[in-house]
Amino acid sequence: MIGYLGVVGIALALASAIALAVDGFRVFVRGGAGAGRLRIPVRGLLLGAVVAMGALELALLTDDFSLRYVAENHTRSTPLLFTIAAAWAALEGSIVLWGLVLAGYATWIRRSVTEGDRIGAAALAVVGIVGVFFFGLMLTAANPFTTLSPVPLDGSGANPLLQNHILMAIHPPMLYLGFVGMTVPFAFAIAALVAGDGSTAWLERTRRWTLVAWTFLTLGVLLGGWWSYEVLGWGGYWAWDPVENASFLPWLTATAFVHSAVVQRRRGMLQAWNVALVIGTFALTILGTFLTRSGVVASVHSFTQSAVGPALLGFLLVVLVAGFGLFAFRGHLVASTPRLDSLASREGVFLLNNLLLALFAFVVLIGTLYPMVLEAFTGDRVSVGAPWFDRAAIPITLVLLFAVGLGPITPYRRARAIVVWERLRGPLQATAVASAVVAVLGVRSITVLTAFAFAALIVSVIVRQAHATARSRPEPYGRAVAGLYRSDPGYWGGMVSHVGVALVAVAIAFSGSFDSRDTITLEPGESADFDGYTLTYVAPFLSEQGHRTVIGATVELSRGGSDLGRLRPALTQYPNQVQAIPTPSVHTGLREDVYLSLVRIEEGSARVTIDAYRFPLMWLLWLGGVVVVGGGALSFVGRRARRRTEVVAETAGV
Amino acid sequence: MKRYRLFIVPAVGLLAVLVGFLVFNLRDNLVYYRVPSEIVDNPAAVDAGRFRLGGQVVPGTIVDGGDEVRFEVTDGIATVAVAHRGAPQQLFREGIGVVVEGTWDGSIFSSDSMIIKHDEQYRTEDGGIYTPDSRYP
Repeated sequence: MIGYLGVVGIALALASAIALAVDGFRVFVRGGAGAGRLRIPVRGLLLGAVVAMGALELALLTDDFSLRYVAENHTRSTPLLFTIAAAWAALEGSIVLWGLVLAGYATWIRRSVTEGDRIGAAALAVVGIVGVFFFGLMLTAANPFTTLSPVPLDGSGANPLLQNHILMAIHPPMLYLGFVGMTVPFAFAIAALVAGDGSTAWLERTRRWTLVAWTFLTLGVLLGGWWSYEVLGWGGYWAWDPVENASFLPWLTATAFVHSAVVQRRRGMLQAWNVALVIGTFALTILGTFLTRSGVVASVHSFTQSAVGPALLGFLLVVLVAGFGLFAFRGHLVASTPRLDSLASREGVFLLNNLLLALFAFVVLIGTLYPMVLEAFTGDRVSVGAPWFDRAAIPITLVLLFAVGLGPITPYRRARAIVVWERLRGPLQATAVASAVVAVLGVRSITVLTAFAFAALIVSVIVRQAHATARSRPEPYGRAVAGLYRSDPGYWGGMVSHVGVALVAVAIAFSGSFDSRDTITLEPGESADFDGYTLTYVAPFLSEQGHRTVIGATVELSRGGSDLGRLRPALTQYPNQVQAIPTPSVHTGLREDVYLSLVRIEEGSARVTIDAYRFPLMWLLWLGGVVVVGGGALSFVGRRARRRTEVVAETAGV
Repeated sequence: MKRYRLFIVPAVGLLAVLVGFLVFNLRDNLVYYRVPSEIVDNPAAVDAGRFRLGGQVVPGTIVDGGDEVRFEVTDGIATVAVAHRGAPQQLFREGIGVVVEGTWDGSIFSSDSMIIKHDEQYRTEDGGIYTPDSRYP
């Protein structure tokens, strides 16, 4: 019964998407006449998507095991939160969530499309076409409402890795808000191409959506890393796994776009480049979905093989051919006329940033796709080692950090050395002092010191800019500082993100260079040393927690005689599943994390083997990530206070 | 338009050089994945250096020798003896799928890293070819 309701919802959304594509294009051809009518298909799209998602949730909540999806991803004993999250814990449901988010963005776009808006109508038509693909997928290859006969009494439950942590309920929706959000600038860019509109109007309009999508994408990537650290227990947060790269690739190009969009808005340059970046970003989100959802990469994200893979690959080809084909033939219509006055300028730094980010994305793309291409041609199954990625990522990131530091003090158009030097002097002094202190404290690695110095430069430059800008304002200094953000939310939000980037860079450099690991085997009551810490194995434990069984070891952690509390690394076993899930236990300190992951507890003797890791400054990584996301949010929630604050932009920008 | 065309030739050239450089570099960083039938009686595998070997633990072959565990893995066609240094994971047992990483000398595979690969549910369609992905059990 619920299944029928869901299918009706999908059908309604599909029909609306087709209508939106056709009507949107018709309105566009007529020069925007009748744009208001597009409200109807957009409403249909949203209603259909909500009904489909609602039906799926209802089926999960009412234990309707007649649906295959429910039987495979839910059990009667699954707690409420994971029952709700089961709607996006597997392939079919995650496509429904994708469709719902797309319908939400379509509704938001529609609100800005008024009578006579041909670009907006064309953009909605593009969203319609994307919608046709995804809702079409739901009716065919990835139908979440196929039924089972006979109806089982209970389901088997989702992949235990997805039931083990609350993050699994949050990470996918955040990532989808980011991935799907990239459809909006893509749709407007395609619309501008089709219309041959060389103005910056599409960029101005999509600024907020782009920032929203970027912020959610960043949050999604961050939560993915955190989950990997807290749940997977392999001892790290990033391994250049194809699945991680799938989310990182569009993040890189989206970040490049967020920056080059500023150049286009302020100086009218890089128009064609922006269009190419947006098409590339959208294509990478589809590639990411293909990599994670099709089964070409075996991981927690790839569910079962189905026709979804070829369909996504086909759609990716369509996006690439249509997008870049359109760009090749019509790109010159949107190309910008102003030329770069000098490479030594803010535009030049933005250009450097863009080239580096594009290069970074390119390297990661090669490393991610190479094993698949090799397997397709030779049948050899290989994986690319993390050191290869590190070797490319470290120099690129260091130059990027330097550009982030230099950017805010470099004037637009042409930077005279004397001006830059005058602005750079203070921050350089601060950087030198900070770096010297760190070196004296014992950091000898050149890479880490460089990363730290550039991070210090980023922060001190921003502090200097804030100080100088506030001082140039007529009101009292304190009030001027407080009013900075309101004077230009986009700019200062970006600066907050830059501070976050600096923190993340320091944390990655430290945790990656000064970590250590050891495998320790202990009898009950025994103690062992681990890098200055003492681990005492108190006792094993076994607990039945309703729907799961947890076995683990209680370990007392102390350092130099002072007790740091108990850690309980464990393995979790779910009913109906052969797999057991490691649950690492982490002690977070100001200096470093101590991270214990259970390898095995021997039956009988209760002897335990533990992988112990020490990661310096991990808290800074998560804090920095939150600051980056917060800066992104600040840049789109605030509106410019008054138009009269151009003076501020002058000191901050030129 | 013209000035864009001016950039295309050097840009494509640069890109080609970059791809060449990256792929060339990649070769030293690849970890190959093989199954027993691919390495038994294959002299090239002896010289291949480190690679990953996947298969099922043959029941009755596990011998725990303190620092080292010895067992045999099979892909249903051929069987390879493995000597693994270190404590095996909790789920290590007869009949379970494992991926071990190390070197092969023609008679025994010396491993220092083991991943447990279980269960039918996430097996790929071609029937138990375990993939080289290292972190997701």
